[in-house]
Amino acid sequence: MTEARRRLALPVLGVTLLAALLMATSVGSVSLPFRGVAGALLARAGLPVDAAALGPTGEAILFSVRLPRVLLAALVGGGLAVVGATLQAVFRNPLADAGLLGVGSGAAFGAVLAVNAGLASSVFFALPFAAFAGAMIAVLAVYIIAGASGRASLSGLLLTGIAVSALAGAGTSVLLVATEEFRVKAVLFWLAGGLEGRGWTHVQAGAAFVLTGVALLVLLGRPLDVLSLGEEEAASLGLRVRATRLLLLGLASLVGGACTAVAGAVPFVGLMAPHALRPVVGPLGRRLLPAAFLGGAILVVLADLGARTLSESFELPLGALTAFVGAPYFLLALRANEGR
Amino acid sequence: MTSAEVLLEARGLVVDRGRARVLEDVSLELRAGEAVAVVGPNAAGKSTLVRTLAGLLRPVAGEVRLRGRALAEWPRDAVARTVALVAAEEEGPDTLTVADRVALGRYPHRGPFRRLTSEDEAAVGRALRQTGTLHLAGRRLGTLSAGERQLATLARGLAQEPQVLLLDEPAAHLDIGHQLQLFRALDEVRQCGVAVLAVVHDLGRAAAWAGRMLLVAKGRIAAAGGPTEVLASEAAAAAFGVGIRGHAVPGVPHLLYVFEEGS
Repeated sequence: MTEARRRLALPVLGVTLLAALLMATSVGSVSLPFRGVAGALLARAGLPVDAAALGPTGEAILFSVRLPRVLLAALVGGGLAVVGATLQAVFRNPLADAGLLGVGSGAAFGAVLAVNAGLASSVFFALPFAAFAGAMIAVLAVYIIAGASGRASLSGLLLTGIAVSALAGAGTSVLLVATEEFRVKAVLFWLAGGLEGRGWTHVQAGAAFVLTGVALLVLLGRPLDVLSLGEEEAASLGLRVRATRLLLLGLASLVGGACTAVAGAVPFVGLMAPHALRPVVGPLGRRLLPAAFLGGAILVVLADLGARTLSESFELPLGALTAFVGAPYFLLALRANEGR
Repeated sequence: MTSAEVLLEARGLVVDRGRARVLEDVSLELRAGEAVAVVGPNAAGKSTLVRTLAGLLRPVAGEVRLRGRALAEWPRDAVARTVALVAAEEEGPDTLTVADRVALGRYPHRGPFRRLTSEDEAAVGRALRQTGTLHLAGRRLGTLSAGERQLATLARGLAQEPQVLLLDEPAAHLDIGHQLQLFRALDEVRQCGVAVLAVVHDLGRAAAWAGRMLLVAKGRIAAAGGPTEVLASEAAAAAFGVGIRGHAVPGVPHLLYVFEEGS
C-alpha cells in the first residue's frame, strides 16, 4: 500500500503539473482555447500538429507573455520546495526554510538598495541581480560569522542566521524610508512576491540556477539522508559532516536566492510541499526532493494563476496568495500533529 | 582468547572536551571476538572514550590504532567499514522506515552515488534478523517505541558489517525482553569474530555478558580484568560509592550482585 503510493507519487505529480501548466497557460485575462494552446506548444516542439487554431495574437500572448511566466512559476515553486526539503533535512527541523540562512532578508535588502539608487528602473535586470547578490552576501555573512568562533555548529548557524536577517531587515527599513516615494512602490511589489512582467530572461536566469542546483541536490540525496541522522551518526558513517553541510547549504542558498531574486518573497511553499509529500514518499532525498520539486511547482503555478485571475481589476501579490493557502494549511497540520 | 588479533588499541589517550580534561592516560586493547564492558559512574568519561575509539573525537595526546595503524591515517570510509558506533541517542527523521534507516549503514560501503547491491540488501536483512526487527522493516521510526528505535539503531550498526562494534549504553531504553535480545545479538556477532565494546550501566548485566570489564573513573581506567575481579575491587566500590557483593547462586551461571549504599 505505502510502497504503491510511493511509486505512484512521481507519475501522478508529473501529470498533475503538466495539467496545471496547460491550464495556467490557457486561462487568463485573454482566454486561449485549451486545444489551441496544446497544439501550438506541440508544434513549437517540432511535432507535426496543426497549430493554426490560436491565431497570431493568441500565439504572441502564449509565447511571449504567458508561457515564460507559467514556466517561471513552476521553476520558483519547485526550487523553493527543494530548498525547504533540503534545509529541513540538514537542520532536522520541519520548519526550516531559506529564511533561516538570511536569504529572504538579504535579497530584500539588495532589492531595496537597487531601487533606492535608481538602478532598478534604469538598468535592465538590476533588481533581481541586486536581490540575488544581497541574498548571497547575507548567506556568506552567516557562514563567516558563525564559523568565526571556531567551527560552525548547527545552533550557531541558526542563531547567526536570525541575527543577520534582523540586521538586513533593519537596513531595509532604513533604506525604504530614505527612498523617494515614487520608487517605493516598485520595492513593495517585489517584496510582496509576484511574477508580473517576467519574461524569458528571467526564465533563463532562473532555470540556470534552479535546475542546476536542484539536480545537484537530488544527486547528493544520500549524503543528505546520512546527515539527517544527526552529526554524530553521520560522522561515524564516514561522512565529512561539515563539508557536506556547507555544500548542501551553499547549493540551497543559490537556488533559494535565485527564486527570491526573480519572484520576490513567496512564503510557505518550501514548508508546505515537503510537509505534504513526506508522509507519501518518505524522507529519503532521492525520492523526496524530486517529488517536492513537482509539488512546489504545481502549488506556485496554481497560486500564480489565482494571482492573475481572482481579481478583475488588479493583480494579487503571489506571496500573499501562497501565504493565504499556506498559513491555514500549516495550522491544520499542526493541529493534526498535536491530536495524534 | 588472548591469541586473537588486536583490532583496536588505545595508547596513553588524553582527551579534552572544551577546556575540561575528560580522559587521562587511557590505554586498552580490543581483540577479535572479545566482549568488553565499560562501566563507571556518571561523567567518568565512558562516552568520551567510546567516541575517541570511534575516531569522532581527537585525543590531545596518545593515539588510537586500528589494526596496527594510527586511526588518523585511515580514510574515513575505511574506518566506518571497520568500526561501527551505536549510541543511545538517535535522531533519525520520524518518517524514515526502519529498512531505509538500516540501509544507511551501508553508506561507508557504497558511498554517495553507487546503487545498493544484493550484497547490501543481504547485510541489511541479516542485521534486521539479528536484532529481531525484521517485522518492523516497513514501519516508520516515529511509530516505534524507544526500545524498538534503539534496536533499529543497533541494526544500522550491524549492517555496517564492522570488525569492531562500539556501543554507548545500548540497553538504555530497553525492557528486559529487548535487553536479552540485544545481548544475544551482540553475542552472535562476537562469535563471528567481531570485537564488541559496550558501555553498560547495569553492572549485573555487564558482568553476566562481558568476558572482560574496564572500570572508568575520573577519566582513568581504575580497574581492568574479569568482571568478577573488577567488581570485587576496592576501585569499584570507591568509584560508585557503594558496597558491591557477588553471590553465587546454584543453577545461575554467573554471580548475582547486591549493592549497598555508602561503603
